[in-house]
Amino acid sequence: MADQLLDQVRELAEGQIDFEGQKLAELLATAVLATVGAISFIVGFFLQDIKLSLYIGLGGTAFSLLLIVPPWPFFNRHPVKWLPLAGTETKSQGILVDGKVVG
Amino acid sequence: MHSSIVRIQNVFGFFTTVAFVVAALIAASDLIAPRTPSANVAVKDVQVVRGRPHYYSSKKEEYAVIKFSLSADLSSLFTWNTKQIFVYVSASWPNSTSTELTNEAVIWDTIITNPSADHLQNIGPVAMKKLIRSAKGKSVDPSRGKIELKNQKAKYQITAPTGKVAETDNVVLKVHYNVQPWVGILTWTPQIEFGGWKKVKGGVSKVFKLPALKVKKEEKKA
Repeated sequence: MADQLLDQVRELAEGQIDFEGQKLAELLATAVLATVGAISFIVGFFLQDIKLSLYIGLGGTAFSLLLIVPPWPFFNRHPVKWLPLAGTETKSQGILVDGKVVG
Repeated sequence: MHSSIVRIQNVFGFFTTVAFVVAALIAASDLIAPRTPSANVAVKDVQVVRGRPHYYSSKKEEYAVIKFSLSADLSSLFTWNTKQIFVYVSASWPNSTSTELTNEAVIWDTIITNPSADHLQNIGPVAMKKLIRSAKGKSVDPSRGKIELKNQKAKYQITAPTGKVAETDNVVLKVHYNVQPWVGILTWTPQIEFGGWKKVKGGVSKVFKLPALKVKKEEKKA
């Protein structure tokens, strides 16, 4: 029972996501952080307030961490289609070795 | 990006890059802000006295005690990136042994903080509250750059390495400032007008009018 709980926790902590999700995560990281940086500078410059720039920057980064790091479901929308395990497949052609059908 | 740890590393790495670029942009934004400081300083009273450098020194040296008036407008130095401004008044006179070198000693200084850095001032709790309240709601307060001092007593009594300052000719009081930004390089009173400092003409940084090279006659106080 504890084993199962531990497994769940480990899966959550590892946070594996599929390949399309990884591509999305990379894109999000670049886009969100670059935007946050731009906003923090522009807002701070026009309001002439550097503390505001700092808060926007740090807040935006925290938001981006929250958005990208946990393995959200939308990162797992294209799970990898693994081939069926060997052995359970019905024998079709068999394996050809030197012209002779083996196993 | 296959695991949470990798994502944390990537996001944090890019965050530091973004932070660096934004800081560089903020520091660069100082270059486009014009600086037009002006100041007027005059000597009100000066004395030369004998004193010891420390309580336990055996040798007595001559010290100049200078009282001055200062009226300065450093408000253009306050931008959103200014943390504080260090203003100092120094007395300088030519060196008798060299034509290029001058003796220069600071007689008075002060730190003027921008409201965003008020909490760093080294003052008591009552004064601190008053200071913070004086700039309520403002992130930049250029009016703090206006200094009006009448008959200000010098913070420091100055002397020369020889220990003798009495009857030194051609002494002049100079006002300097050092702008300490939140991000960026430290800048002092410019010696040359920095063309790149302002894109458009008008960012002339006048140091200020020297109180016409005064020849000070200092009497030895008996």
